[in-house]
Amino acid sequence: MPITLLSLDDVQFKVDKEVAERSILIKNMIEDVGESDAPIPLPNVSSSVLKKVIEYCEHHRNDPVQTQDETDDPRKRSNDIEEWDMKFMMVDQEMLFEIILAANYLDIKPLLDVGCKTVANIIKGKTPEEIRKVFNIVNDFTPEEEAQIKKENEWAEDR
Amino acid sequence: MSYPPVPPQGSDINVTWAFLEQGIDQIMIRLEEGMTYKRYMDVYTVIYNYCTNSKGSQDSTPIQTRGASLGGRDLYLYLIRYFQKHLEGLRKECEQYMGVSLLEYYTKQWVKYTQASGFLHHLFMYLNRHWVRREIDEGRKQVNDVSTLTLTSWKECLFDHVQHNVMAAVLQLIERQRNGETVETSLLRNVVESFVALGVDETDPTKSTLDVYRVHFEQPFVSATEVYYKMESERFLSENSVTEYMKKAEARLAEEENRVQMYLHPSTHRPLIQTCENVLVRGHAEIIWEEFQNLLNQDKQEDLYRMFSLLLRIPDGLEPLRTRFETHVRKAGLSAIEKIADESVEVLDPKVYVDALLEVHKKYNDLVQSAFRGEAGFVAALDKACREFVNRNKICKTSTSKSPEQLARFCDSLLRKSAKNPEEGDLEEVLNSIMTVFKYVEDKDVFQKFYSKMLAKRLVNGTSASDDAEASMISKLKEACGFEYTSKLQRMFTDMGLSKELNDQFRERMAQNHDASDMGVDFSILVLGTASWPLQPPSTSFNLPDDLVKTYERFQKFYQDKHSGRKLNWLFHLSKADLRTNYAKASRVGYTFQVSTYQMGILLQYNNALSYTLEELQTQTNLNMEQLAGALGILVKAKVLLLENGGNVGEPRSRYELNTDFKSKKVRVNLNLPLKAEQKVETEETHKTIEEDRKLLMQAAIVRIMKTRKVMKHVNLMQEVITQLQSRFKPRVPDIKKCIDVLLEKEYIERVEGEKDLYSYVA
Repeated sequence: MPITLLSLDDVQFKVDKEVAERSILIKNMIEDVGESDAPIPLPNVSSSVLKKVIEYCEHHRNDPVQTQDETDDPRKRSNDIEEWDMKFMMVDQEMLFEIILAANYLDIKPLLDVGCKTVANIIKGKTPEEIRKVFNIVNDFTPEEEAQIKKENEWAEDR
Repeated sequence: MSYPPVPPQGSDINVTWAFLEQGIDQIMIRLEEGMTYKRYMDVYTVIYNYCTNSKGSQDSTPIQTRGASLGGRDLYLYLIRYFQKHLEGLRKECEQYMGVSLLEYYTKQWVKYTQASGFLHHLFMYLNRHWVRREIDEGRKQVNDVSTLTLTSWKECLFDHVQHNVMAAVLQLIERQRNGETVETSLLRNVVESFVALGVDETDPTKSTLDVYRVHFEQPFVSATEVYYKMESERFLSENSVTEYMKKAEARLAEEENRVQMYLHPSTHRPLIQTCENVLVRGHAEIIWEEFQNLLNQDKQEDLYRMFSLLLRIPDGLEPLRTRFETHVRKAGLSAIEKIADESVEVLDPKVYVDALLEVHKKYNDLVQSAFRGEAGFVAALDKACREFVNRNKICKTSTSKSPEQLARFCDSLLRKSAKNPEEGDLEEVLNSIMTVFKYVEDKDVFQKFYSKMLAKRLVNGTSASDDAEASMISKLKEACGFEYTSKLQRMFTDMGLSKELNDQFRERMAQNHDASDMGVDFSILVLGTASWPLQPPSTSFNLPDDLVKTYERFQKFYQDKHSGRKLNWLFHLSKADLRTNYAKASRVGYTFQVSTYQMGILLQYNNALSYTLEELQTQTNLNMEQLAGALGILVKAKVLLLENGGNVGEPRSRYELNTDFKSKKVRVNLNLPLKAEQKVETEETHKTIEEDRKLLMQAAIVRIMKTRKVMKHVNLMQEVITQLQSRFKPRVPDIKKCIDVLLEKEYIERVEGEKDLYSYVA
């Protein structure tokens, strides 16, 4: 039975149950409330983002469900992103953050991980100044604070 | 149903909670009415929004690092307060109930609460995933995920206050069930479930322990069980027999096992059943043990099995039974032998004796297998008892060697040609049962002696019924006692085979060198190694009749050519011959006499004359008087010879005439009968040789031991000798002492100077 998802801006998406259940939120809810024809409103996700998220879930519909414990180790590395996921994540910065937020909201752990890794890769190899520029961050440290932090993190410097 | 509007993003905790409380109420109180997707998503989203938007504001302790916003403390605290209030309400309700109605209320609320708990855990997933997780990672033990929070709240706010009443009701209900009433077991199952679920591990909330269940359920339950069965068993035993009681105890134990299956936690199995065993079996073990003899006497197998399986449950429960069983079997064996010994010991049929032993063994072996399930301790008790009555019973009197002798005789009767013997298939079975008795025989060397004697006789006389049966018996003995025990027996069979070949060769050689007319005698011979065959040399001299001398010399030469240096001893007393007669008027074809060599020596004289005196016959045959008289006695009795002038056989100057009027219904007449007196002498001699052999075996063992140990204490040496020889016979201590003395005298060993009981080996 297909499931209807309703975005913030009232666009309906019909997807298979197993696709929708990539979201642990939706999976738990169907389990708790029971199945019905009613659309599932997702008041925190816009249709453009939801479309992307569904695309991801369709592609990964057959992945094994991961358990809570195996979130450690290998996934912490940012260079093991699948090729498809890499391409999937080639979106503008705003969309990237929207996807991450949606993944967090909908509780889709692998998508959240891929999103975060992608951001990590953007940061990698950049100076703080460059990072501020990329993400449009105003430097709110005092020079003393900045010196202190630099000193504390000296060990991490890439020499 | 109308709900308050969804609060906008960024609302404070009061506005947010006002909305959430309604949602939680719906889940906690009216879940059966269901919930729409929309409502579910609204509640989830409000929690999500609150957690993500409460940028450090309400969090009085900003433990979060910069940037990440992990609000949620307020939500968590409101949730705790909510549960407290809700559960207090339930507690007040609970206090109005007692007994079954309390259980009904408690379990109903528990089921409802746990369902809601699962729901809430999911709705507050965002709180769980972020704020709670972070708190736990930071080491704040008092913070748990929502699911665990519901459990700890239930325990603190409700369970701790009502569990006493709940347990009282539970125990009451179980007692009613034990009394035979039908009760609602699902109530009990749900209570147990709640007790188990409440065991949250304080140190690691993801794990659960059974502490709550164990302390508040299992312990009171097990002690109530103990009290109940103590009373019941005592009352029951005062009104019923022990056999009835055992049935009751068995049924009760099964019932309690079933109870664990039905509604208890599996871990309760051990303490519960152990307690029951303790009260029902161990508590009344004495009286059960006392009943054992009665059941044995009446052969009540079913009750015996029941008793066995009950006592098997407690430590040391079976030991008194084993001892009693052993005594009982021994007595049964002894009285069985007593019964047959009453008749007449002299003419005791070995079959009757062995059968009597076997019957007792079989009866109790069957009992061990069926009622005691072949339990090792009972098998050992049976073996011990059998060993006792096989070796020491009325027929054995003082000598343990009687049993092996009878056993060997029974073997002989089975393996000898006879019309009475069983079919081959059955024979195997009988031989196996002989081995059963053999296993218990202590003097295995006595058996060996008699067996080899009788085997030799069967082979020499050609009276063995079947080579297969002989081989089968020997392989059984070999299996039981090892290669050495049967090596001589096997050697005897080898000699038989070799002799057959030898006869063929000899006959071939004779056919080449002599005309057929030159060989008047049909001759065959067995050449047997002295070392392997227990054969006595002849007790008399003997003149070989002229007719045989040529054959005798030819074979002697033939054999010496073949094996120079070997000495042939001719055992004429074991040889036999067939004589064809043509003097008898009563038969046209003539009779054939089967005779011993000595009888042949006598009869062949009558080719020259028809009448001889005793003295003439003795001069001719050179036999001693005893053998001559014996042989004549049979011939006279069979009327082949006639004693002239009255008188008695063997008297000086008695005269013997050939009876030309000899008549017989049979054409073949067997005159080769054993002399009665000979048999008895033989048995006695066999026993005597056994004593001699034992002395040698003991001496050999002592020398062997001393050679390896060099120096040894008297007591240890005794012990070692007994162990080494046990498989053959039980050496008696005074006998060993005598052997030591002999060896001291012969200077194989000597006493160590200055030491009282120390020997050393003299190289």
